[in-house]
Amino acid sequence: MQSFTKYISGIFTALKSLLKGMGVTWKEFWTKKVTMEYPENRQTLVISDRWRAELIMPHDENNEHACTACGICMMNCPNGTIRVISVSIETEKGKKKKILDKHIWDYGSCTYCNLCVITCPSDAIVFNNDFEGAVFDRNKLVHQLNKPGSKLRDKKK
Amino acid sequence: MNYNQPLELTGLLSHLDIFFRNNLPPFWASLVESILVLITILAAYAVIALILIYAERKITAFFQARLGPNRLGKYGSIQSIADMIKILIKEIIHINRVDRFLFYAAPFFVICSSVMAFGAIPFGKGLQAVDFNMGIVYLLTVSSLGVIGVLLAGWSSNNKYSMIGAMRSGAQFISYELSAAFALMTVVVMTGTMQLSEIVENQRYAWNIFNGHLPAIVAFVIYLISGHAETNRAPFDLPEAEGELTAGYHTEYSGMQFGFYYLAEYLNMFIIAAVATTVFLGGWMPFQLKGMDTFNQIMWYIPSYVWFIGKTAMLVFISLWVRWSFPRLRIDLLLNLEWKYLLPINLVNIIAMVVTVLAGWTLTGLFPNIFGITP
Amino acid sequence: MAEQIIFFILAVAIALFSVLAVTSKRIIRSAIYLLFVLVATAGLFLMLHYHFLFAVQVTVYAGGIMVLFIMAIFLTHRPGEIVDRRTNRKVKSSMLLSFGGLIVCGYIIVQNVTRTYSYVKEYEMKMQDIGYAMLGTGKYQFLLPFEAISLLLLACIIGAIMIARKEKSVESTDNKDLDK
Repeated sequence: MQSFTKYISGIFTALKSLLKGMGVTWKEFWTKKVTMEYPENRQTLVISDRWRAELIMPHDENNEHACTACGICMMNCPNGTIRVISVSIETEKGKKKKILDKHIWDYGSCTYCNLCVITCPSDAIVFNNDFEGAVFDRNKLVHQLNKPGSKLRDKKK
Repeated sequence: MNYNQPLELTGLLSHLDIFFRNNLPPFWASLVESILVLITILAAYAVIALILIYAERKITAFFQARLGPNRLGKYGSIQSIADMIKILIKEIIHINRVDRFLFYAAPFFVICSSVMAFGAIPFGKGLQAVDFNMGIVYLLTVSSLGVIGVLLAGWSSNNKYSMIGAMRSGAQFISYELSAAFALMTVVVMTGTMQLSEIVENQRYAWNIFNGHLPAIVAFVIYLISGHAETNRAPFDLPEAEGELTAGYHTEYSGMQFGFYYLAEYLNMFIIAAVATTVFLGGWMPFQLKGMDTFNQIMWYIPSYVWFIGKTAMLVFISLWVRWSFPRLRIDLLLNLEWKYLLPINLVNIIAMVVTVLAGWTLTGLFPNIFGITP
Repeated sequence: MAEQIIFFILAVAIALFSVLAVTSKRIIRSAIYLLFVLVATAGLFLMLHYHFLFAVQVTVYAGGIMVLFIMAIFLTHRPGEIVDRRTNRKVKSSMLLSFGGLIVCGYIIVQNVTRTYSYVKEYEMKMQDIGYAMLGTGKYQFLLPFEAISLLLLACIIGAIMIARKEKSVESTDNKDLDK
């Protein structure tokens, strides 16, 4: 007899819990949808600053950057994405000096590991969060990071 | 009691019938009409499947706080047409060491049983292809053929996942068919007929679910549960449990062969909802109150097929709601539910219904002035 | 004319699949051919307006027994293997048996063909009439056989439960596990 009452009450508790579950999903049905409709919401889109999308070399208003062409980023890159091409010039004082000619970074083979940014002794390169990097030609993925005509920023004394 | 029904199709259909009978010899007239009916049913089958697939994706997305398909057409409305074109032009992959004949025959069992059940449903006033005297038994009969297709698909695929899925499906189907049949028989006890048109006509003033109150509501719930189990819909989708069996019995199928299973699954969901509508919720009959002619007239302005589709859509929505609320059952719990709960409850319920009917406790019996068919 | 065509299609299907069912070398295919035979027979009932018989034929044979057949075959050892264990003696004896069966059936058909014809009705049989016939006690009513068969089936179910039941001690521990 006891097992019979247990059987009957079991049915009702089961029904109750099922209805409770359906209540939860019913509320979920009317919640605000989290989907972001991407091309339409470009204006309001918020991408986290931590997002690593494209490697850039910040230039200041005098078209100067901080890269000393030491090549540490190139050496630390795990799959050879960065090429630092330097040239030797002579300064006015007659010293030989190595300056940056081209800092080339291949978007296509970068794994966004951030090692280059971490190891850079002069903090010359950073990742920005501009994620729309798709192009139709693979050659366009190879970026030259230093702007034409730019030069090394003088160290502050 | 003749209401003005401007949007019904009965007039158009009888005009067509008269036109064919006047212009063709009797044999050809009936042949042409049969073919027209066949084409209409098949077209409706495909169109309803497309709509259901779109609705399912959209509702599913809403339950998961997503938006669902929203790129192709307004609100993604022609997404399923694109999917249909894709599946039609896909390659059918031939698999080594399968039983060729059974492998290619299996989808047709499933789709045939589904189309046959679909054809017998009364979609509206005068929109029923066949009206058998034993309508409900016919529906149960043809839907019982589908499981053979599932079993054969599982076996002939030469794949252990398919085989496990098929065995589960067999056990599940045999069990739950009983409950579905008993739940429908409970209503047959009350209506005293199995003819679908008569069942609909009898529900003019009181839907069966109200007419039979407690036993009818229990039967309705049991029918929905076992209907879902019969058609392998979640949370009873063990035969195709993605997590464990890749896709269950249709793992090895591709292209339109898979499309048949896909179509049949969605249409079976529709058929279960449509049968529940017809038997419990008044079918295509508009909501009517006895003695309130103006109200009834307004209700009749909405054509009967819209009523039918509306009620069915509500049940389909409930089916999806259930699907996204509950986790999948384990096989032993599934069989427990049927044999230890649904079937005993059903047997008690059918006796309760007999008592209700004999004692005159149905709404039509208690209040013949409000709910009775005859004035 | 249409009925004639459909009848011939069904008849050819029945004959063809019957032969295939016994000659096929794969047991699972035999089962499927048998299923086709049963469904085609149901089609004959449908042509005769015996809708209830059609429904019962399809539900019981195609939906019930054939599904159990197929599942039972799945459980056998290597169901898809091509078996050919026909010996001369087996062929001879089965031919003799089937010839005998043909004679008996043919005799019955020839003797009763006129009588059967008078049973065939032009209108659709009503479910209510069948129900009254099943549960009535008068002439041509079948309450007694109906109840006898249900008793038999009940005995079968109880027997099956007795066979499938586990030992008491094993059962109790199992239930404990499930309850957790």
